[in-house]
Amino acid sequence: MNLLQYLPGNSVLHRLNPVTKLAAAFLVGICAIVSHSVVFTISLIILLLGICTACGLGKRALRLTRSLLVLGGMMFVFQLFFVRSGDPLLSAGGFTFVTRDGLSSAVLLGLRIVATMLPLMLLFAITEMNDLCGALVKRLHVPYRYAFIVTTAFRFVPLFTSEFHDIEDAQKARGVEYDGGIIKKLKLSVPLFVPLMMSSLKKVDAGAMSAQLRGFNLRTVSSGYREYPFTAADIGCILFSLLLVGAAAVL
Amino acid sequence: MLRFEDVSFRYPHSDSSVEHLSFHIQKGEFVALIGSNGAGKSTISRLSNGLLKPDSGTVYLDGTPTTSIRTSQIARKAGFLFQNPDRQICQNTVREELAFGLRLMGLPEQEIRERTREAIEQFSLDGDWFPFSRSRGERQRIALASVLVCRPQLVILDEPTTGLDYRECTAIMDYLTRLNREEGLTVLMVSHDMELVSQYAGRVLVLTGGQLIGDGATHDVMRDQPLLGRAHVLPAQIPALALKLDAGAKQPQFEDVFTVEEMFETICRLRKEMSATAGKGEVLS
Repeated sequence: MNLLQYLPGNSVLHRLNPVTKLAAAFLVGICAIVSHSVVFTISLIILLLGICTACGLGKRALRLTRSLLVLGGMMFVFQLFFVRSGDPLLSAGGFTFVTRDGLSSAVLLGLRIVATMLPLMLLFAITEMNDLCGALVKRLHVPYRYAFIVTTAFRFVPLFTSEFHDIEDAQKARGVEYDGGIIKKLKLSVPLFVPLMMSSLKKVDAGAMSAQLRGFNLRTVSSGYREYPFTAADIGCILFSLLLVGAAAVL
Repeated sequence: MLRFEDVSFRYPHSDSSVEHLSFHIQKGEFVALIGSNGAGKSTISRLSNGLLKPDSGTVYLDGTPTTSIRTSQIARKAGFLFQNPDRQICQNTVREELAFGLRLMGLPEQEIRERTREAIEQFSLDGDWFPFSRSRGERQRIALASVLVCRPQLVILDEPTTGLDYRECTAIMDYLTRLNREEGLTVLMVSHDMELVSQYAGRVLVLTGGQLIGDGATHDVMRDQPLLGRAHVLPAQIPALALKLDAGAKQPQFEDVFTVEEMFETICRLRKEMSATAGKGEVLS
């Protein structure tokens, strides 16, 4: 299943204004960047997982966290070996592998990756693309053309994933071997990416033509019939997110 | 050439599956695989070339189980033409596209040049064409040429004529038929087009709900209305008309009629016989 796919629901998170969700996701991300405390960042991740579980999104949030932890783990390893300052923790043959500063900054970076990306990725699980696009146009007065570009890009992700698998199958059936080393795989990327690029361009061209035929250029702020009012829950969510940013700055 | 022995396969997270399939395709046969959407036709074609591996049972290609060799090795024996040629075409010129498969096989450059030149002539292509800007029919022809230039023993066609006009469709099918008859190329064709099946295939496998419910000569399958009905497939028009004309007749006259030419010849013969009988009657009276 695609981890960016929308999960229908009627929880408090689902019912928030899409603009609020977007702002809250960014504010939580800022929290993770501002904070220098490992404990605070872990607490933030646990808090996010708790809120998601309460809103019936626990399974998705855990799967996302697991995927992000892999990315965070990679960053952890890089950071561990690149930071050379601080007391040595692991040395062999006169060469220091790990330092105290390296370890603490690597742990923080790994956790930051999870804490900043988790809310942004969860945004797609609780927000329909049409609503996000509509709210950006209605409430933030973003020109429809630009809001459409962003939302369409995300809508195309699962389509391209499935197209990519089909192309890979077609090339395997021709005798292309993708089970070799990384250099071999890179060399054989042409048979994968050229057809993908061509089919993407064709899809985009066909999409643009059908959008034009349906009056894309005529669309303005007043075209959408759905309203996206801000409620008390939205204000509460933003205040809570701001509070978190404040706490992150202090702790 | 291709043998399925009690093969079952189920897609993960899906209800689609094929169950307990057993059949054997001999070298030099032209076999069509028919059935409604979701019957398992494409699954069988992907199991045949190792893109899918069976959950149980064994698929033998030229005597070797597909599970014991890599898909890329299978590709040397079994060519696969997809419905959409754009998933396959990846080079800037037709010449490079045809040479791509041969290079993957590790052939010497001299032989690659020779085979590419021959294929360009046979398929009436231009080696310098930019493949992506050609018409759908031409792209399909380029894709087929790049499969056949590798000289596979078996070619699997997944809806090969979708989106082609009659002329393009005939050109491709006639070429495959010639290779099948003259060089013993085995063809396994997945198709919805019953006219195409009745015209070109010698044997038909009928699928429904992932199970093989019919396997026989094209003539027999096309006249088996209950079987086609179970597979939710309409028979080709000429065999269907022949069946209707024979319905209730003591002596069926259209039993071996499957093409427009055969129908025309049979009607002409019957007209002649009738006028001869009528003429005799007049003399007698």
